[in-house]
Amino acid sequence: MKKISLSNRNPIGLAVAVLCIAAASALGYYVLGQDESYPSTDSGTVDAELVHIASTVGGRLQALNVHVNQSVKKGDVLYQLDPEPYTLAVQQATAGLALTQAGVEQQQRLVAVEAANADIARNQALRAKTNHDLAARTVERLRPLASKSYIPWQQYDQAQVALHDSGITLDQSHQQATAAQVAVGDLNSSIAARQVAEATLAQARYALRQTTVTAPADGYVTSLRVIPGEVLIPSQVLFTLIANDGWFVTANMREGTLHAIHPGDCATVYSMINRTTPIRGHVESIGWGVLSADSAGLSRALPFVPREMDWVHVAQRFPVRIRLEHANPQLLRLGATATVEIRHGAACD
Amino acid sequence: MRYRSLQRAIPVLLLPLAGCKIAGAPSFPLAGAYFPSWMLCGLLGILVAVGLRVLFLATDIDALLRLRLFTYVSLGTITGLLFWLLAFGP
Repeated sequence: MKKISLSNRNPIGLAVAVLCIAAASALGYYVLGQDESYPSTDSGTVDAELVHIASTVGGRLQALNVHVNQSVKKGDVLYQLDPEPYTLAVQQATAGLALTQAGVEQQQRLVAVEAANADIARNQALRAKTNHDLAARTVERLRPLASKSYIPWQQYDQAQVALHDSGITLDQSHQQATAAQVAVGDLNSSIAARQVAEATLAQARYALRQTTVTAPADGYVTSLRVIPGEVLIPSQVLFTLIANDGWFVTANMREGTLHAIHPGDCATVYSMINRTTPIRGHVESIGWGVLSADSAGLSRALPFVPREMDWVHVAQRFPVRIRLEHANPQLLRLGATATVEIRHGAACD
Repeated sequence: MRYRSLQRAIPVLLLPLAGCKIAGAPSFPLAGAYFPSWMLCGLLGILVAVGLRVLFLATDIDALLRLRLFTYVSLGTITGLLFWLLAFGP
C-alpha cells in the first residue's frame, strides 16, 4: 500500500472535519426535535388524593382503632369519640319530643272542649231566639186585650218587659256564640312545636353518629401521633388518610413541549423506589395555571413589575397529571421521585 | 493500512451503542442524588472523543486530520447524541 504524505494541507482532513461538524449539527437538530416531540422529565412526583380525617363534633377520643401507616378499607371504623354527651343529648331531645307530643294531645282536648262550648253557645242563641219570638207573640196577643181592659195593664207591662229581656238575651247569646266560635283553637302551634322537637332529636342522633368516624375510602393512615384521651374540638383533624384508589404522577413539563402532550397519551413512569420497573400510565390532564413571580401581587393593588434586563428566560413548567394503571403498591409512596416519558419508553412500546 | 485501522475502529466506535435500550429509568442514582440521562451521554461523548484522540494518535490517523478540535468535539457530540437516541430516545 502506498504511503500517504501527511500534510496539514490535506484536503481529506478538511473534508472529514466538515463532515463531522455537519453530522453533529444535523444529529443535534434531529435529537432536539425528538426531545420536543416525545417529552420526558425526571422531576415528577408520585401523588395521590388525601382526606383529612376529622369529626364534625368534638369530644374526648375514646377508642382509636388504627395505628400510623396502617392500611384501611372503606367503611372501617377509625376512631370513636366519647358518645356520652351525645347520648344524653338524644335522651333530652327524646324527652322534648314526648313533651311536645303530650302538648299536641292536650291541645286536641282543649279544641274539643272549645268546639263543644261553641256548639252550646249556638244552641243557647237558638233558645234565646225562640223565647224572644214567644215574648213578641205574647205582647202581640195581649196588646188588644189590654187596650180594651180585658186584662190588667200590669200584665201587658210584664209581657213587654219580658220581650225586652229576651231581646237582650238574644243579642248576648249571639255574641256569645260568635265569641265561642272564634275561641275554638287549632293544633298548628303544638304541631309546629312537635316538628321542632323532631328536628332537634334528628340533629342529636346525627351528632351521636358523628362520634364514630369511618374511613371514607381505602387508604393509608399517616401523621397519626396521638393516643386515646386526646380532646378534639369539632372538625379537628386527627390524621391524614392517603386514598389508595387512585395514584398519579405530577410531572412538570416545559411549556414548549405541551403541544406534544394530550390527555390520553401513554406514559412510561419509573418510581425511583425501584427504577427498573416501568409503570404504565396515561395523561389525564394538564394544569391550567401556575403562580408566576411576574404576575404575583394583590389583585386590588397595582401590578408589581420588577425592573429587569434578562436576556434569557427560563421556560415555565406546568404540572401534567398522569394516572397510573395497576402499579405495584410497593412503588407508590406519596412524594416519591418519578421519571416520566410521554408516548415512549418501556411501558408504551 | 491506516484505512483498515479506521475500518477496525468503526465497530469499536459503535460498541457503546450495541447496548441499545437501557432498562429502567433515564435517571441514575449516585450517592443519593439522581443524575439525568443526558449527563451520562455527555460523559460518554467526552470519553469517546478523548479515546478517539488517543486511538488516532496511535494509528497516525490524527496526522490526516485538520481542524482537530472541531473534529473531535463533533465526534464526541455524535457519539453522545447517538447513544441518547438509541438508549433513551423514543
